[in-house]
Amino acid sequence: MRNFILRRLVYAIPTLIGISIITFVIVRMSPGDPIRLFTFGQRDITGEDIERLRHLYGLDKPLPLQYVDWLIAMVQLNFGQSFIYHTDAFQLLLTRVPNTLQLAIVALGLQLVIGVPLGVIAALKRGSWVDGVIRVFGVAGHAVPAFWLGLVLIIVFAVQLRLLPSQGMLTVGKDVWDIPDRLRHILLPAFVLSLTGIANYSRILRTETLDVLGQDFVRTAHAKGLHERTVVFVHALRNALIPVVTALGGILAGLVGGALVVEQVFSWPGVGQFTFQAAIAKDYPIVQAATMFVSVLLVVSYLLRDIAYAIVDPRIKAG
Amino acid sequence: MTAKQHTGRILIAVFAASVLVATACTPANPTTQPSPTPTEAASAKPDQGGRVIEGWISDLATIQPVLSNDTTSARAWGLIYDGIIQQDSKSGEPKAKMATYSVSSDGLTYTFEMNAKANWSDGKPVIAQDWLTGLMGVGKSAKTVRKSTFQDIQGFNEYCAPAGTQCKATASSISGVTIDSANPKKWSVKMTKVSCPAILDLTGYTIPTQVFGKYLTATSTAADFDNAPENTNPTVFSGPFKFKEWRKGDQAIFSKNDSYWQGTPNVDEYVMKVVANTAAVTNGLKTGELTFGTVLARDLADMQTVDSVKITKYQNLGYTFIGWNTASPTATGLADKRVRQALAYGIDMDAVIRAVVFGEATKQVAHHVPVQWAYPSIALEPYKYDKAKAESLLKDAGWVKGADGILAKDGKKFSLTISTNSGNQERETLAQVAADQYKQLGIQAQARPEAFQGLVTKLTTGDQTLEATIIGWSLGGDPDPYSIWHSSNIPDPAKKVEGFGFTFFKDPAMDKAIEEGRNPTNGDCSTAARKKNYETFNKILNENQPYNFGYSNNTLAVSQKSLQNFNPASFSTLYNVHEWWIKK
Repeated sequence: MRNFILRRLVYAIPTLIGISIITFVIVRMSPGDPIRLFTFGQRDITGEDIERLRHLYGLDKPLPLQYVDWLIAMVQLNFGQSFIYHTDAFQLLLTRVPNTLQLAIVALGLQLVIGVPLGVIAALKRGSWVDGVIRVFGVAGHAVPAFWLGLVLIIVFAVQLRLLPSQGMLTVGKDVWDIPDRLRHILLPAFVLSLTGIANYSRILRTETLDVLGQDFVRTAHAKGLHERTVVFVHALRNALIPVVTALGGILAGLVGGALVVEQVFSWPGVGQFTFQAAIAKDYPIVQAATMFVSVLLVVSYLLRDIAYAIVDPRIKAG
Repeated sequence: MTAKQHTGRILIAVFAASVLVATACTPANPTTQPSPTPTEAASAKPDQGGRVIEGWISDLATIQPVLSNDTTSARAWGLIYDGIIQQDSKSGEPKAKMATYSVSSDGLTYTFEMNAKANWSDGKPVIAQDWLTGLMGVGKSAKTVRKSTFQDIQGFNEYCAPAGTQCKATASSISGVTIDSANPKKWSVKMTKVSCPAILDLTGYTIPTQVFGKYLTATSTAADFDNAPENTNPTVFSGPFKFKEWRKGDQAIFSKNDSYWQGTPNVDEYVMKVVANTAAVTNGLKTGELTFGTVLARDLADMQTVDSVKITKYQNLGYTFIGWNTASPTATGLADKRVRQALAYGIDMDAVIRAVVFGEATKQVAHHVPVQWAYPSIALEPYKYDKAKAESLLKDAGWVKGADGILAKDGKKFSLTISTNSGNQERETLAQVAADQYKQLGIQAQARPEAFQGLVTKLTTGDQTLEATIIGWSLGGDPDPYSIWHSSNIPDPAKKVEGFGFTFFKDPAMDKAIEEGRNPTNGDCSTAARKKNYETFNKILNENQPYNFGYSNNTLAVSQKSLQNFNPASFSTLYNVHEWWIKK
């Protein structure tokens, strides 16, 4: 197992270098210059001022040299100073990570808590109107754009019904440890973020449960006279959940990466919103730090998934 | 009930219960409640306490004024550090705030005296050295964009670093600043030349020497000052509020400064709340999560249906325009004044204002906006929509319609691409409407949205692929138009000279008027004298139309009716923030 993990870690290095090159080139080659952007309209700004700032941030060097400088600093977790915030980009990013993780973890919880039962119920009620409703919900979960659903939920639950806040992660004036207040704020964005996952899990669980319910060991369990609940939840569901557990590998990274739209709609101060604003401002250090952070998270998630697979199926290690 | 049904119900019940618990544990409304039966109570005795929550679309970047270059940060440091001079909230004319001032007869020496009551929150008096500390910070900082603002102060260029064309970094002090040895609150500033915008620039940044002085010693580096922890976590204050906490990306909280020299504020806290976009501001105002904010014209009708809010309209200090590239190698017609005038007559700007910003704007025909004291009193051509006149001017300029209905001259068709920044719905609509109207004149016009980031670089570097551009100027501070309209600010791609003069329009008489309004040869910086120069300047622009000057929007400030004494105006929102109060 140790060799397997080491091998996977070694494979991850060229992947990350590739991502870093692509990110660096895309960010730098996109139109516009960050210094000109944030000095645009500034009275009395001179060409010398602009050149001084470009030199300060190393933007006057050839692109390959800029990349090498950035790479050397990056491996020491130094992503440079934000052009806008004038402080360490990685530290700034880290202040947003817990917010996004909160959202992603709650969304993941909702995916499992809602998606798994829906899938099982749909399988057990196969062909019924309940199955039909759940399947339509599954399609809708994929089809409805997150930004649209988010806005609708804000209008209904925040503006019209005044049941939930419309934005942010904490009511102004509340203590940061006010858990009920946090829950009220996280409910809508987490639900929107989880919707695709709910649809996925309900679909996977329905298929897997139907598959498992038709297998010999389930018939044997029935023949032994076991209670229906025991057959479904102890024997069938345990086996049906295997694909779900392995699919969880990349889901957290996916949620973190996919939170951008939801964070924008709900003014959630997470990595996505932060990166989006940095990208608009062409704040390279933050954009690159965020991209590498999510990439590493993704690589680690897939590594964990591979390890999970290896544990479940030892033949994978040999491959 | 079967076991399956039972289990399913349990799962649903658990989720429903968790939702109910989450929604029931705290009240639905935030601390700042809209008053259910609001009354005008400006004259009543102010209630004490409460919290003002203002919505901002971006987070603050820094709380160090020397490093600040965005409006959000400026709001934050404006709450905690008072300036020595302020602009009148309605006219924009400079007037004393924390210091009185006088100007010598030759216009070269400014003398200031800090208000006797002005003090820091740690009990120390605000003195001349604190103003000088801010100036030294600008000189020392590597990240500030303000160095050029102070280049006319005698000895500043010798002090500032790093060494280059402007900065020499040869002196350890700024020779033009003299602090009165008998009165530490009094100082004078000697300028190298008469500069009328200087009085507002000399407001500078009064920051606590007891905090930042240690980063500005002879041995300290630029990084010492630029990376000072107090830049993001300030500890001593002269403004109406004290910094309390910055929850990055979410909110910055300021608590009232009990020892504020103009009187303790009535509200306990001022919170800058970060929201994602203008829709979130509108929603926050409707729900009462925000105490005040500005909304877009398209949301005005919606806000007018909300009983709990008050809407205050005032003219924005800026305008949205179509800039013509008068040196365009492709749209050669733009070089001709008659063509540009035709493009002004050929667009129904009043109708555009109704369609694009729902009537919430004023048509502009020159550079300065009506609320500025520099706005001309003389008559300017209003360029009322007149298609026949536009066609006649185009004909006079040699542009004749062909069989296909397209204007042509010397065998070349009149095509025009109007660029603007994508994502700005208002400007994209304006570009489309303008293109449609110009097509009716026989011009092959098209709108082209492109990324703002790229557009800015193209404009400032004088990229000749731009033919016409819709963008906007913000005109805060002094009305000096030098950086936009003086010929020295026309970009020159060949010489890699950058500037905001991207229309390539220049006129010697206009240059002279700008120079006289900025650095008058007779030293007269009175508003009357400067206004005369700006009338000449605006007259030339009005006649030559290097821009279609478009329109100046109304700012639509929406506040909860419970917020009292809130009277924002074009030049300032916070000028009386210590007098605001929340009716309970």
